[in-house]
Amino acid sequence: MTAAAMGSGRAAATASRMRARRFGYWGLGWLGVAVAAAVWQLVSVQMHSSIFPTFAASAKRSWDLVDGPVLHQDLIPSILRTLAGFAISAVIGIVVGMVTGYYRAAREWTSAVFDFLRSLPTPLLIPVALVLFGLGGRMVVAVIVTAAVWPVLINTANATAGLEPTLVDTARVLGLRGRSFMWRLVLPAVSPEIFAGLRVAISVSLAVMVVAEILGGGSGIGYFISSAQQSFKITDSWAGVVALCLLGWAFDSLFLLAERRLLAWQRGTVGGEQHG
Amino acid sequence: MLEGRAPVDETGAAMPDARGPARVRFRRLGRQLGGVVVAIVVWELVSVSGLVTDQALAGVPSTARALASHLGPLASAAGGTLEAWAVGLAIAAAGGVVVGTLVGRSRLAEAFTEVLVRMMRPLPSLALIPIAILVAGLGLKMTAGLVAFTSFWPVFINTRYGVHQVENLFIDTARTLDLHGGRLLVQVILPAAAPLIASGLQIALSLALVVTVSVELVGGTGGIGSFVLRAQQAGAVPTMYAGILIGGLIGWALNTGFRAVVQRWVPWADRAERRL
Repeated sequence: MTAAAMGSGRAAATASRMRARRFGYWGLGWLGVAVAAAVWQLVSVQMHSSIFPTFAASAKRSWDLVDGPVLHQDLIPSILRTLAGFAISAVIGIVVGMVTGYYRAAREWTSAVFDFLRSLPTPLLIPVALVLFGLGGRMVVAVIVTAAVWPVLINTANATAGLEPTLVDTARVLGLRGRSFMWRLVLPAVSPEIFAGLRVAISVSLAVMVVAEILGGGSGIGYFISSAQQSFKITDSWAGVVALCLLGWAFDSLFLLAERRLLAWQRGTVGGEQHG
Repeated sequence: MLEGRAPVDETGAAMPDARGPARVRFRRLGRQLGGVVVAIVVWELVSVSGLVTDQALAGVPSTARALASHLGPLASAAGGTLEAWAVGLAIAAAGGVVVGTLVGRSRLAEAFTEVLVRMMRPLPSLALIPIAILVAGLGLKMTAGLVAFTSFWPVFINTRYGVHQVENLFIDTARTLDLHGGRLLVQVILPAAAPLIASGLQIALSLALVVTVSVELVGGTGGIGSFVLRAQQAGAVPTMYAGILIGGLIGWALNTGFRAVVQRWVPWADRAERRL
């Protein structure tokens, strides 16, 4: 056996050990979830309280939600509203973020006002949105946008303002101007930060969607949770929360998947760990 | 790799160019104030033009009058909001830093909590409002409890990550210098993790305000949220805007104040690598 073959054999062994370890961590993570569920189950069985149903009951009920009329009445509208609000926020946030990040004057003129607006606790705007749009989906989407636009905008602006001058100058020398400069240089260069902002924005969208629906969605998962509570169907409320939890997790996982695909080109060119 | 480890960051990041020579700073301040003036003028113009129904938008002068005539109720509403906010956030901050440090120091504990964190992070905790009302009734205890639960996660996630990623060089050096246990933790690990802990706290404090206001809106438990909702239900649009304005000012003051505290006490946060 040659030295090279031995070397590659050892490398393969290391790789498989690393894979085994990663698998072990992954398993441990799910074990953590199982333990949390078991604790919930034990505590609720001990308490035997009508307002704290067991994990098994809540999980079974949340499966009924997905497998019943609630799916079309409440779950799907909520998902669509969240995605619509998220998409609008993403477009506004990226465009305004790039402009305010790139032009110092634009940044300075807007910074105090933006600072105030993004510190404003968005749920306070729900009463206004209720008057403007009435009950229902459009109101929910509008409220989502007022909250979810900020993480995208701020991240994009910060990253654009911090662009490497060499990069900008090189592009200028090569004749990139105006819109093509923004699309072909700035946007790809700041995309990692944009994605970080988008990831925050998606969980903000979900959270705001729920409050808006509780207060005046007319339908949707938030409406479902609060009307179940008002009619003392507590297990339904819990089931709604479990469903939302899974929804948030699914959104986040899909998002990370999309990010890995879309940003694959810059792995290894930009700092940070290389995924094996 | 362990995806959930990536902390939620950047939503609280300051806009860039925080420093500069006096002339530049002066110009920036002028532009920021100019931006505020422009925003107020646009607000008044939109309200006068009748583009938006006066059921949903009050003019600047009438809002100012409402603000002046409701100073007492507004102050007590703001006090109620801040009380629930502070109690909840204090619990979350203490719990998040302690548990985050313990978990971040152990590879196994980290893997064990990994999936759980990824499920809890995007969980719209606001969905728990109806359930929390049932379990704990309306009142400070319920609001503060929900605030604590929600804001625990960003603090915990960032602390866990911050403690985990302290450079081995620091720890090894400290060990050689005979620092162990508690002193190693207090003098090396926590200061090195402080920038990330600070950004976790920054997120937590805005989140805590959003939760407080949401509970007040849904439960009608007093505070600025109930103030705004009651004004809307009474058709007192200028009063509603006075409430929204105060809510925004509270958020802005808390954010700005905290940023100043961080700059004063954790000056190395500026230089630290900004992780996403």
